[in-house]
Amino acid sequence: MILQANFGRMAAILVLAVAALAACSNAQVRNSGASTIALQAVLNDSISVTLSGNAVNFNLIAGSANNAGSTSVTATTAWTLKPGVRNLRLYAFFSNSASALTDGVGDNIPSSDFQISDNGGPFAALTNSVPFGGANAGLLLSRTRIRARNRSGSRTDVLNFNINLSTLPNLPPGTYTGTLTIQAQAI
Amino acid sequence: MQTGRVIRIAAIALALATTVASAQAINSGAQTIALNATLAESLTLSLTANAVNFTLAAGSAANAGSTNITATTTWVLKPGRTAVGVYAYFANAAAALTDGGGNNIPSSAFFIADNAGASTALTNTVAFGGANGGLQLANVAITGANKNSSRTDVMAFNINLTGGTLPQLPASTYTGTLNIQAQATP
Repeated sequence: MILQANFGRMAAILVLAVAALAACSNAQVRNSGASTIALQAVLNDSISVTLSGNAVNFNLIAGSANNAGSTSVTATTAWTLKPGVRNLRLYAFFSNSASALTDGVGDNIPSSDFQISDNGGPFAALTNSVPFGGANAGLLLSRTRIRARNRSGSRTDVLNFNINLSTLPNLPPGTYTGTLTIQAQAI
Repeated sequence: MQTGRVIRIAAIALALATTVASAQAINSGAQTIALNATLAESLTLSLTANAVNFTLAAGSAANAGSTNITATTTWVLKPGRTAVGVYAYFANAAAALTDGGGNNIPSSAFFIADNAGASTALTNTVAFGGANGGLQLANVAITGANKNSSRTDVMAFNINLTGGTLPQLPASTYTGTLNIQAQATP
């Protein structure tokens, strides 16, 4: 009886093992061929300049060297640059050095009498030829060296303005208007 | 040999092209700031003092004021202005100074010497004040060279008590107000 029972138990185990092997044989994975998707992500070079304000007024005093602008303007320059770009420069300029501001009837304030102080530095007249604007009508406001750690970055330049009329003592009364342009260049 | 040279030249050309490409400038957009500067027209006149005393001698032609007064006229003028005039005047020619009791010193007895020039009575009708109660002290022609400028007039004063009934002017205190004013024309 005992021998008979042992034989029956072993037979059952054997059947189970065969069934398990058969199941393994049916679960073998089948793979398709690999299809590829080409990915391309482009991060373009970009530079942007935003200004905190777009208008400055001056109450002029005849012959005075100090005619401050009504407000400062903050220029925020943001960039994302490719490797190889080494410098980012911010410029201020007029289109014409002889008539940065004009009353429209032939009386002008030249760019050499228009001054900007950048981030509390000394006032400097717009008397240089820069990549933008008229000859002798510009000023390099700032230069940022670009390295691996700042290929994406930003900076702020707080601009204060002054008109020096000491060289224009006979400027006639009037309203003088002009457009100052701020622009950045990476190279 | 030839092939190697060509390959080297091509490699150099490629390297140069790559360098040029990477050196291309990248510009931001141009942001503008509108500038508005106003230089207002102005004409001002200031005096070094505002009071002059006279110790009168009855019937005397020479009764000098206690002090000279300097008038400084400063202007910033628009194009088109051709002259700046400086005037002295009383409101009433008949009573330049008065004792308030009906006794008066007329403007014709009041003299001003401007910048050490001749002493002249205030007997003209000028841009300001009463008829025949004024004197033009100065006339400055305005040109392109002096649209923004200034001038000074040193005024010395005298009261002449010799004319008309003035020798009989009663003893009293006579007071009056002399005005100095500038005008730009046209």
